[in-house]
Amino acid sequence: MSRGARVRGEKVQRRLDWTFPPAPIEREVVHARPEAPVPGRPPVLCVHGAGMGAWAFERWLPALAAAGWHGVAVSLRGHGGSQAPARPATTTLRHYEHDVLQTITELPAPPVLVGHSLGAVVVQRLLERYRSAPAGVLLSAPGPDHGLALLGALARHDPVTLARGAVGLRTRPRAAALVGPATPREEAQRLVERLQAEPALAALQVTLPRRRPVVRTPVLVVSGGEDRIVPPASVARTARLLGTRAHLFRGLGHALPLERGWEDVLDLVLAWLHRTVAVTQET
Amino acid sequence: MTGTTMRDGMRVEDRRGRILVLGAGSSGLTAAKNLRERGFAVDVVEREPHLGGNWNIEGSASRVYESTRMISSKPFTQYPDFPMPDAAPDYLHHTHVLAYLERYAAHFGLDRVVERSTTVEEVVPLPRGFDVALTGPDGTRRWRRYGRLVIANGHNWSPKWPTYPGQDTFTGELLHSAGYRSGDQLAGRRVVVVGAGNTGCDIAVEAAQRAAVTYHSTRRAYWYAPKYAFGKPADQVSDLIFALRLPMRVTQALFQATARLVVGRYERYGLPTPDHRFLETHPIVNQQLLYHVGHGAITPKPDVDHFAGDEVVFTDGSRVQADLVLFATGYLIRFPFLPEGLLPGGARPQLLRNVLHPERTDLAVIGLIQPDSGQFALVHWQSVLLATFLELDARDPAAAQRYLRDAARHLEDRSQAGIALVDSTRHLIEVEHAAYARDLERDLAELARRLAAVAA
Repeated sequence: MSRGARVRGEKVQRRLDWTFPPAPIEREVVHARPEAPVPGRPPVLCVHGAGMGAWAFERWLPALAAAGWHGVAVSLRGHGGSQAPARPATTTLRHYEHDVLQTITELPAPPVLVGHSLGAVVVQRLLERYRSAPAGVLLSAPGPDHGLALLGALARHDPVTLARGAVGLRTRPRAAALVGPATPREEAQRLVERLQAEPALAALQVTLPRRRPVVRTPVLVVSGGEDRIVPPASVARTARLLGTRAHLFRGLGHALPLERGWEDVLDLVLAWLHRTVAVTQET
Repeated sequence: MTGTTMRDGMRVEDRRGRILVLGAGSSGLTAAKNLRERGFAVDVVEREPHLGGNWNIEGSASRVYESTRMISSKPFTQYPDFPMPDAAPDYLHHTHVLAYLERYAAHFGLDRVVERSTTVEEVVPLPRGFDVALTGPDGTRRWRRYGRLVIANGHNWSPKWPTYPGQDTFTGELLHSAGYRSGDQLAGRRVVVVGAGNTGCDIAVEAAQRAAVTYHSTRRAYWYAPKYAFGKPADQVSDLIFALRLPMRVTQALFQATARLVVGRYERYGLPTPDHRFLETHPIVNQQLLYHVGHGAITPKPDVDHFAGDEVVFTDGSRVQADLVLFATGYLIRFPFLPEGLLPGGARPQLLRNVLHPERTDLAVIGLIQPDSGQFALVHWQSVLLATFLELDARDPAAAQRYLRDAARHLEDRSQAGIALVDSTRHLIEVEHAAYARDLERDLAELARRLAAVAA
């Protein structure tokens, strides 16, 4: 636990979830299973960022399976192939938390939780609620009290997106803001075109100050050195609050699982998982 | 080594590094899961050849019947870190509950640690730890020594029989709801259902559709809460009222007004007026009872006075002929394998937050609550409380003792939110769920603080 930590217990009372439980939806869940499963290895469940879908891990999943891990990706409600909620405007992070937790319960064992960007915020919430996850991987994870840094980065690098978002217009980031310099412009543009609008409340929630997470799970925090959406300083803050340090990939931008250089990120994650996740033992 | 290492001429197997959980029902499973999550080594023994406790209708101690459905909706009922599936309805049928518990056990790897068909015959407390006599599937008795014991044997299995004059000479059949499985037992018969718990009301409703005639005898007039209000599960609506944190009298008045609005006046159905405020008895959630009363398929009756031949005589002097009298009169809290006095408090064990033994750190009970809402979620947090406390005890036994001493000052705080419950054995372990959740949250925060202080 990091210095000056205010000790907090568990969140037992969930009044909002008790009185207004998230509406059930049909979810898109994509699996990539290894040909020769390694007994005792947990599944790896990936949660995408704002405007993306399970497809954000279309490069990771086959690579995970090839490395002997059961890769799983879920599309949050209203994203990818998952059903859209009846009223998207009321969608907030707790609905996404619900979607991921539902997916977790369908897995044969507690999974490693991987989250990217907004998905990393969802994963942080889950690490406080679902304590059985053997490990967590946070990619481009905004710090819980760094909303202004996010808005500042956006104002500097993509003011049009920020302005449109601020007045509630559908908006997508600039290609140059989304990826690092290694990814060719056309590839980046194709990526931007796949993005869909993120409901305003959920996007806003990411920038609001949150309770600092109290997590016992081992966590790996990764940042792109050229991230123009969640600045490396914000990711570093996330890492510090979780009692660890962020790994910085120079030359990479915000779309860590998709842009050129994603293999290096995954290699680091796999090496860390091999060290961190002990094969389940009977105790 | 403490005490003898031989019992009944057999060596006692040393398992002091492990915790023994008694029972693999909804409470034992979450106790085992949460203890393992905190790094404790856990054994679970289960008398039945399968998991699920009360929710496995095949079980000899199961008290569910074919039509049993949840009376609390999913958000209140589910384990908070393992929600019931989106595909399941608001109120689960008992077969769905069992499937849910089995998935929970499989997901958390518990199905591998449960020793099935294994009965606890005897528990001998040592100064620290316990010797436990077990009979396994092969019928042989063996002794083990455990460092800690967690009791999760359930409290809805040992039938509580009432006694009325003339009961022994009654010519019809007397049955406790413990022996009730299906509406076939009622078909074509003249039935008196005694008791207005949720089971009694369920059976009365079933009798209304199957029996020749149905009488429903209740000691007092109750509040019958609907399952749905304003198109939502009623408990989700009522928690909005709880969330206002108003004085209890105001909350009760709001509930009563809501019941009036949604259900109407009970007198209009021919039922007596409740003699107590809402929430002062364990809530009865049944939307169909009043419907069948209104259709004449259920005749409300007061308490039974005595039996006379083939007749049941009620306290208002009315008498009816009956083929079957079904006592839905509840269950007794029993721990038949424990020595007398090991749990303080007699009929209502005096435990801290219904979980921790006030003196022994090696003994706890999980699941010994009757909330006015879902059970599994609260029992999950009981288990987290226990696991956190044991972590404190493992790191600093003196700190754990201090915690017990400090917590014992609030032993009489029973998380009932200031509700004056009607005096009945039915309310021995009653908790108001919102207050209990709040108290558990406070306890967990306090334990986290003390744990951090020890770690620092």
